[in-house]
Amino acid sequence: MEAFFFGSSNQQLFGSYHPPFSGAGQVLTVICSPLFSESARTHSALRKLAISMAEIGQHVLRFDYRGTGDSFGELEEVTISDWVEDIGLAVREGREVSGSSEVQILAVRAGALLACTSVGAGSEIQRLVLWDPIADGAAYLQAIRRAQAQSLKSEFRLMSRAERLEATRDIGGWRVSEKMLEECRALDSGAYSRIPKNKLHVVSTASANGFSPPGVATDVVPYPCNWEHVKENVIDPQPVLERLFTCLTKS
Amino acid sequence: MPNEILREEVLQFGNDARLFGILTLPSLPVHQTQKLPVFVFLSCGVLHRVGPQRLYVRLARTLAQFGFSSLRVDLTGRGDSPGRPELRNERSLMADYKEIVSILELRFGQSQLVLGGLCSGADNALMLAQADQRVIGLLLMDPTFHPEDGFRLRKLFRRLMSPAQYMNPVNYVLWRKLKTELLREPPLMIGNPPTRERLRAAFQAICERKGRALTVFTGSAVKQGYTQLGQLGQTNSLPGYEQYCTERFFSTAGHTFDLEQHRRRLLDEVKVWAAGYL
Repeated sequence: MEAFFFGSSNQQLFGSYHPPFSGAGQVLTVICSPLFSESARTHSALRKLAISMAEIGQHVLRFDYRGTGDSFGELEEVTISDWVEDIGLAVREGREVSGSSEVQILAVRAGALLACTSVGAGSEIQRLVLWDPIADGAAYLQAIRRAQAQSLKSEFRLMSRAERLEATRDIGGWRVSEKMLEECRALDSGAYSRIPKNKLHVVSTASANGFSPPGVATDVVPYPCNWEHVKENVIDPQPVLERLFTCLTKS
Repeated sequence: MPNEILREEVLQFGNDARLFGILTLPSLPVHQTQKLPVFVFLSCGVLHRVGPQRLYVRLARTLAQFGFSSLRVDLTGRGDSPGRPELRNERSLMADYKEIVSILELRFGQSQLVLGGLCSGADNALMLAQADQRVIGLLLMDPTFHPEDGFRLRKLFRRLMSPAQYMNPVNYVLWRKLKTELLREPPLMIGNPPTRERLRAAFQAICERKGRALTVFTGSAVKQGYTQLGQLGQTNSLPGYEQYCTERFFSTAGHTFDLEQHRRRLLDEVKVWAAGYL
């Protein structure tokens, strides 16, 4: 694995590039991770998947969005538009590093909405594989708020009124800007309909708020990912990773 | 990567470049930072080097504003550092630490170190501190806490004396199970929780080296028997504890500092404490 920072000097992104173990692979997969706590929870699984794909000759690039993971920037200062831009930047960087002509994207949860918004109707991406995509930003934010309220029940009892009020400003424990919330609420399933259906493939674990864009090929791999949980439990579902691997490596 | 205040470098080091970490360096002339200790953040639980809610990243970058360099590292088997199939637990930790020290020596020469971490990261810092003379500081967030003698029995007694326990037959059955659990030793955690003796030895070593420690407990330590500020020194009979240790109790914070307000408070505490090295 080769890790590096890329992008503009004041807000660089952190990337991990997995070159093919042997030969000169032609396909590059860019992984768009999920957001907030889901990102850390899937870190290990997505790394494992990236290594497996590199073993059979693919180039893979993982990256952290601005203000997340090891990338620069403060979460409170970034917006959804920045993250959409980051995906375009990661694709360009991946192409440059790998020299690949064929690019596909694996996007997870809200990362799927961002990836489809970023790609749009453009033709430079050959395939998008979406793992448990979310339907729209507003419902997603509500689900995170519900999960936070549930997980903080015991702490809330001990908090002062001011602390409780302050806590309600967090989204799953993360502080984001009003602009970020507005832009997130504006994301809807229209992002999926702008992509030709034959380019999309969904792998669904049939979780509580499972969603698949109409008319899109969908593989269902039942697995309790418990996405609606803001704590840091790791998500490492072997059967789902195997299905994603199959989808991303078929010609 | 360059920045007005700091820059960061990716490090892949050790045998077979097995260990992965990010080095944060302040953008100050070397002569201004060379006397300062280097912070090492040890990954916690199964999470990677960024820490829960990105806590280690923010700590590293906050410290860099004051001139401190730091390394946040994935111990083997976590994050981007592959495991060592031949070594487990403490032996793996020791092997990792040897390689961490080597790379830091290569970069900074014979620097003094401050080891930090949350939960198992804090426990690992305690396990390593005693043996290495370079370690002159500990930044511990929710380390393993050994309650005072009799805590478990008192807890059991309080439960037994509570009339509510006997009102519901379901509770009675559950209580019998709980009683058995309470009388057992605390369960093993991920990482290497230090014994009471190891913990004492680590703090004594810091004291002898004229070092300093900052320990922050959250509300979740209450379940382990932590109920009041300063209890770590008292229950472990650490002489002169208050002189070299700063202890803080964030009673409403979750174990992983789940809320922004608690992370900000923690960062403020660390800033004040770290200023003592300047």
